[in-house]
Amino acid sequence: EHGGRGGGGEAGSDSHPFPSCCPLPADIISTVEFNHTGELLATGDKGGRVVIFQREPESKNAPHSQGEYDVYSTFQSHEPEFDYLKSLEIEEKINKIKWLPQQNAAHSLLSTNDKTIKLWKITERDKRPEGYNLKDEEGKLKDLSTVTSLQVPVLKPMDLMVEVSPRRIFANGHTYHINSISVNSDCETYMSADDLRINLWHLAITDRSFNIVDIKPANMEDLTEVITASEFHPHHCNLFVYSSSKGSLRLCDMRAAALCDKHSKLFEEPEDPSNRSFFSEIISSVSDVKFSHSGRYMLTRDYLTVKVWDLNMEARPIETYQVHDYLRSKLCSLYENDCIFDKFECAWNGSDSVIMTGAYNNFFRMFDRNTKRDVTLEASRESSKPRAVLKPRRVCVGGKRRRDDISVDSLDFTKKILHTAWHPAENIIAIAATNNLYIFQDKVNSEMH
Amino acid sequence: MEFKLEAHRIVSISLGKIYNSRVQRGGIKLHKNLLVSLVLRSARQVYLSDPCPGLYLAGPAGIPAPPPQQLGEPAAGPPAGWGEPPPPAAGASWADTEPQPEGSAVSEAPRVGDAVPEATVTGVGVVPQGGAADAAKAAWSRVEGPRQAAAGEAEGPAGGWGVFPLGSRASRRPCGCPLGGEDSSGTPAATPRAACCCAPRPAEDEPPAPPAVCPRKRGAAGVGGGPTSFPAPGSTPLKKPRRNLEQPPSGGEDDDTEEMDTGNVANLISIFGSSFSGLLRKSPGGGREEEEGEKSGPEAAEPGQICCDKPVLRDMNPWSTAIVAF
Repeated sequence: EHGGRGGGGEAGSDSHPFPSCCPLPADIISTVEFNHTGELLATGDKGGRVVIFQREPESKNAPHSQGEYDVYSTFQSHEPEFDYLKSLEIEEKINKIKWLPQQNAAHSLLSTNDKTIKLWKITERDKRPEGYNLKDEEGKLKDLSTVTSLQVPVLKPMDLMVEVSPRRIFANGHTYHINSISVNSDCETYMSADDLRINLWHLAITDRSFNIVDIKPANMEDLTEVITASEFHPHHCNLFVYSSSKGSLRLCDMRAAALCDKHSKLFEEPEDPSNRSFFSEIISSVSDVKFSHSGRYMLTRDYLTVKVWDLNMEARPIETYQVHDYLRSKLCSLYENDCIFDKFECAWNGSDSVIMTGAYNNFFRMFDRNTKRDVTLEASRESSKPRAVLKPRRVCVGGKRRRDDISVDSLDFTKKILHTAWHPAENIIAIAATNNLYIFQDKVNSEMH
Repeated sequence: MEFKLEAHRIVSISLGKIYNSRVQRGGIKLHKNLLVSLVLRSARQVYLSDPCPGLYLAGPAGIPAPPPQQLGEPAAGPPAGWGEPPPPAAGASWADTEPQPEGSAVSEAPRVGDAVPEATVTGVGVVPQGGAADAAKAAWSRVEGPRQAAAGEAEGPAGGWGVFPLGSRASRRPCGCPLGGEDSSGTPAATPRAACCCAPRPAEDEPPAPPAVCPRKRGAAGVGGGPTSFPAPGSTPLKKPRRNLEQPPSGGEDDDTEEMDTGNVANLISIFGSSFSGLLRKSPGGGREEEEGEKSGPEAAEPGQICCDKPVLRDMNPWSTAIVAF
């Protein structure tokens, strides 16, 4: 099953007023995130909008539609801004969304663009009071002479209304472009990272933040690396990791010092000299880092590989998976057309046994860590009729070519899957393909194993 | 020669990207520009590296590791022993990782619609070998030479480069030839350099690899510390005036509202622009350089804004066309 986000944004329909070959830039999905139960799925786009999908509860009446995601709420999170003082336009594109753990009936999430983070509260209203004495149904004041008796207003059910309101705006914390946010397991603080600095915020305090990492050199001409992603440890509220454009990971302990410029652990793999090229630095830049659910491992994505790191071993990753190594000989072309700068994300499944990441041509890849098997799947309207089974795809790199193989030169590099998300407990994945959101479900193996 | 053409093409592409970044929505993206500058530095080093026997001074510590041994050649000389330039094969090893020849690069270019003008790629392929290419090379290094000589103290390639290319120029060892200095504003003197006896490339002969080992070991916090054995950033007098010319000095930590410090990126563009216009004023290689028009023209038409009208550009020396466009 899949859903288009253009037009009405309905998850179940194919409606999209524009041909899919040229989507509106504002509709391009820029982030995808399940909440902690998997009931809600949030997407952000380049136009600054957030669309939240909700999983329909299983229903006896329509057993085939159980577990489908439908649009729950849509709101404009960020608007384009212009900083006149610095002559800087600030894009409204949503870079990241992170859900807060649910603590009451309301849901909360953080959304961020390049400069400003916002806390949104999502509440439901399904009852409204009726029977006011002084007001009529439309809210107009009644003619008092018509009021002959008193009544107690009662709550009557109404159509569900989802209300979203900005509760906090965390602004002016970042000089450079924010690339990630991460909520701490203490549920009180969160961090935001830009190219050179990481700030720690309290969710209730917007007028100040604490700078916990600062890699800005005294002389910018000495700059050799930037922060590319960061995340809190899922269980230890004092630990976080950040990745760099040089391919290294730094695990930091906030108990050690106020300013965590000295890492507790440095994870980096020596470069393979036989693979040296003009573009070695670019392809070693880490575009995403994710702790495993267990907290024992980290997953990183660079341009050509995904790597699993054990927190106990800094010298090298314990597993490396080639996502699309056939691109290694094409790096110059990919540099020319800017594809080499694409930032792919990566994801763990709920049991940390399978990892997933996107690629080009609307392909995405899954690697089973236990069986060492991998699969390439495609997210496209043609191959994704509802309830169809995804067929594994193959990119042929010379040699024998099978019937449905795609040759490397036929890959469509404008169709890139940068953002993917995996349901925290079940085999449900959300794939963002440009302006379309695909939600796939493994009904055969719906339990994690 | 192909790897030099490749390097030159990559330099042009990189400069175009940095230039375009200035007009991109959302402001200059520091990460991307840093990566582009690293590619730019690598490509320039390859482009300018030339066997220049016996005229290299000993380098400082932190010189990058030897290049990859793709062809099974012996290492291009240890960092410390700079007596011998690397064998050409070391540079050629770069070529193996890139599509060869240029024609295949065209066919392998991914379909991205209008993103990359194919003319750029084909243009390069048309560049004749031999004399014209050498002239281009010589022209390039004439530009580099005076700036490098005037930059004075060496900055380590590891730390001194960063986003700012001047560090790279400064890091090349002068080959000892009498080269004129820059005038105070940093633009190269109008008179072109006499070709120095060792061919006008005082380029360091270090392998095309940017410092791979040294910066990797340095933690992020150490970036600010700069290279191990080099003077403090303040003692680079030639950079300061240029910065002041082109951009108000970033207040840095003093300001309550900190400016996003990407002045070095803007300076990169202005330096390349002004130094190339120095070449513009006096272009002794004008006749030969016209043959470069094949590749310069399309490059001038690369995506991004061109700062003067196209008809004007066409009338100018084609080599300078590309430069002015940047």
